[in-house]
Amino acid sequence: MTETSSFMSGLPELAILRLLQEQEMYGYEIVQAVAARTGAVVSPGEGVIYPLLHGLEKSGALKSRRKTVGGRSRVYYTLTAKGGRRLGALSSRWSELNGAVEALMAGGALAVR
Amino acid sequence: MRFDDLREKLLLGGVAPRHVRRYLRELSEHLDDLTAQQRVAGYDGEDAAIRARARLGSDDELAAAMLAQKQFRSWAARAPWLVFLILPPVTAVAIGMLFIGSLGLAGKYFGFLGTHAPSSPPWFQLLAADLVAACNLTAVPLSAILFVAIAARQRLKLVWPLIASLLLLVLVVQSKADFAAHGKSHLSLGLGLALLPQAWARIRENWFQVGAQYVVIILPVSWLWRRRLAKA
Repeated sequence: MTETSSFMSGLPELAILRLLQEQEMYGYEIVQAVAARTGAVVSPGEGVIYPLLHGLEKSGALKSRRKTVGGRSRVYYTLTAKGGRRLGALSSRWSELNGAVEALMAGGALAVR
Repeated sequence: MRFDDLREKLLLGGVAPRHVRRYLRELSEHLDDLTAQQRVAGYDGEDAAIRARARLGSDDELAAAMLAQKQFRSWAARAPWLVFLILPPVTAVAIGMLFIGSLGLAGKYFGFLGTHAPSSPPWFQLLAADLVAACNLTAVPLSAILFVAIAARQRLKLVWPLIASLLLLVLVVQSKADFAAHGKSHLSLGLGLALLPQAWARIRENWFQVGAQYVVIILPVSWLWRRRLAKA
């Protein structure tokens, strides 16, 4: 991604899980899709996506299988039920954060819980 | 070869070889896609390859991303004391058990071993003697080779296989087959310390075998040491 601050940490994971919720994809495809969907505002480093994918797979959020399509063999990733739950949790946190930032920029105040 | 420097960085950083292999394979496939994309964009030959490699990320970035995932570190990198101090004697005994266990199973199957077993035929006694000798000669050296291979493959510090080899040097794996008439035959496998007086008599008795064992234990670690020196 273009920004590497901790503020953006967790965003590549959210993007990956969200894209894989729709269909199975391989690494290169995921990177291109994230960049295309976000107008390249979020563009994960091309190669550094793999440790993240492998980590998500190890935690049970993703499954992978090697598949040959059009003569090219690639590793395709799919979301698991556990990954779906993780996506739900991450989406809620990002929505909250988004609301907070919008309120901050608009000059309003959030109700203190 | 592609990603040689990256491979070294990852192995030196303690990433398990199988995770390194998988990462590099996927990076290689990704690089092929990026290169094809650059060609479609109008760049050709080396130009396309250089641009694709730059987009993939530098070796430092790619290594840092993998090293940040601690769960991909190998056991030997996480707990070398466990792998190189505890496992060598266990492995030596396990290898010994393979020899003696298979002999024991064969003996039981043919009815040559056991409480009411008749005397064993000469061919079985010869087979047992050979297997026992093979076990005594190879169990410890095979363990030494295994742990040096692990250290070499995972680029670990030389001190760890050296400790494992020294540990194996002071251990004596001794198996024995005694044959007697009418159910008195038995097989045994033991592990002892070469430093103890009880072991000295055994070492004196089998000095040639023990000497050969010691040479074969030392050879792999000295090979690794010379290899590291040559690389440095």
